[in-house]
Amino acid sequence: MDREVLRRLCLLNQLSLTDTQKDDVISFFADRDADTAALDAIDTEHVERMVHVMPILTVVREDVVSQPFSREDLQAGAPETDEGYWCVPRVLE
Amino acid sequence: MNKIVIDDMFLTVGTPTTAGSKMLEGYNSLFEAEVLTRLNAAGYTITGKAKVGEFGVDLLGETSYFGADYEKDTLQYPAAVQVKSGEAEAAVVLDVNGAPRRGAAQNNLVALKPTYGMVSRYGTIPVACSGETVSVVAANAADCREVFAAMAGHDAKDGTSLPESMVDAGKAAVTKKNKVAVLSSMLKGTSEEVQAQIAAVSENLAKNGVEVVTVDAETIAYAGAAWNILMSAELCNNVSRYDGVKYGYRTKTYTNIDELYTNSRTEAFGELLKSAILFGSETLSTENYQKVYDKALRVRRVISEAMKALLADCDALLMPAASVTAYSKAMVEADKYLPYKENFYTAPASITGLPVVVAGGVQLVGNAFSEDVLLDLAELV
Repeated sequence: MDREVLRRLCLLNQLSLTDTQKDDVISFFADRDADTAALDAIDTEHVERMVHVMPILTVVREDVVSQPFSREDLQAGAPETDEGYWCVPRVLE
Repeated sequence: MNKIVIDDMFLTVGTPTTAGSKMLEGYNSLFEAEVLTRLNAAGYTITGKAKVGEFGVDLLGETSYFGADYEKDTLQYPAAVQVKSGEAEAAVVLDVNGAPRRGAAQNNLVALKPTYGMVSRYGTIPVACSGETVSVVAANAADCREVFAAMAGHDAKDGTSLPESMVDAGKAAVTKKNKVAVLSSMLKGTSEEVQAQIAAVSENLAKNGVEVVTVDAETIAYAGAAWNILMSAELCNNVSRYDGVKYGYRTKTYTNIDELYTNSRTEAFGELLKSAILFGSETLSTENYQKVYDKALRVRRVISEAMKALLADCDALLMPAASVTAYSKAMVEADKYLPYKENFYTAPASITGLPVVVAGGVQLVGNAFSEDVLLDLAELV
């Protein structure tokens, strides 16, 4: 991990760090890299990945039309609304 | 028993849900978590919400945006304090990264993290979805059993909720062996006090007719490293939704959309969370996916099979819940990444989804669906 990689990760994750924080994170990554390297002691060449600890069943049901929440309820937490529409920050320059 | 406190990882109607983060300060949900609906239907009263660390990934709540709780210089887990003081008879909490188990151990309470999928996660704040489990902390095993019974069961709204047929078959396959194995490889780095707790629990179990043996399985000691990778990767994905537009906090200083996203996330997330996000992101990058994330998924299977093999011969694996019996303010302030180190002890149950009971300050990890057996053991401790 170096500052350039960290800069790219910050950009990807939309985060900004101070110089002190960058040093902390680089040190944190060094510890994690050591942990990760230690995993090489376990031979996993013929081992399948375990994504789910329990079997996941696909849940299938009929579509049912319902109106669980009113427009007013849904917009109650919005910072700004206008005649029933959500107002969001400008996204086009 | 009637009064239950929940932690701030459950969606509630009428009171905000923050997950301990500035990002969700003031967020009000339109629906409540399934667990709360079930507890209310069973006659329990939810007395309030306990603070959690930001998105539940820290030691005991020290990263909460709303402040850490210390008593006489010792870090406290708010939900456990409520139970210990008698203000609530039990706490229902989301075990994301072991905090409830550490909190129960520190306060000599009993905690049950059930088999993954036994309790609905519908309406909980998602963080590390492949391992996090709704859990109970109470004064004794009987109270844990009662609350667990009220909230367990299939929920069609949660895709990871196990069907009743699978749970019934799993429970029927559990046989009591009256034997517990101390996992010596997990004692690494523990204080003398923690080792004394392991010895005391072993002695109490033996006095009550349980055979206690010591086993070594070095593989299981890698659970912490593998879990840190998987937990961080899942967290990174789950918190990517918080961008300052759809939920919670929005920065006041931006001139374009990129600044809006970046400033909102930078101002709202704490330092541990930012580090976890960045680490999770790196594990999922093109360069690292195979050698880090994919490797951790394969190690997870190796660990699961190693634990299953050990549990074929005993009811539970006895291991510490933490390296120490309490965290001082100096310890917490000296190392903001201590949770990643302490995961060494709680990760085996998190990464495998196996049930675990905390009693007498230590953990007893059992076979899937063996909650009753584990709580029987807790009663002997």
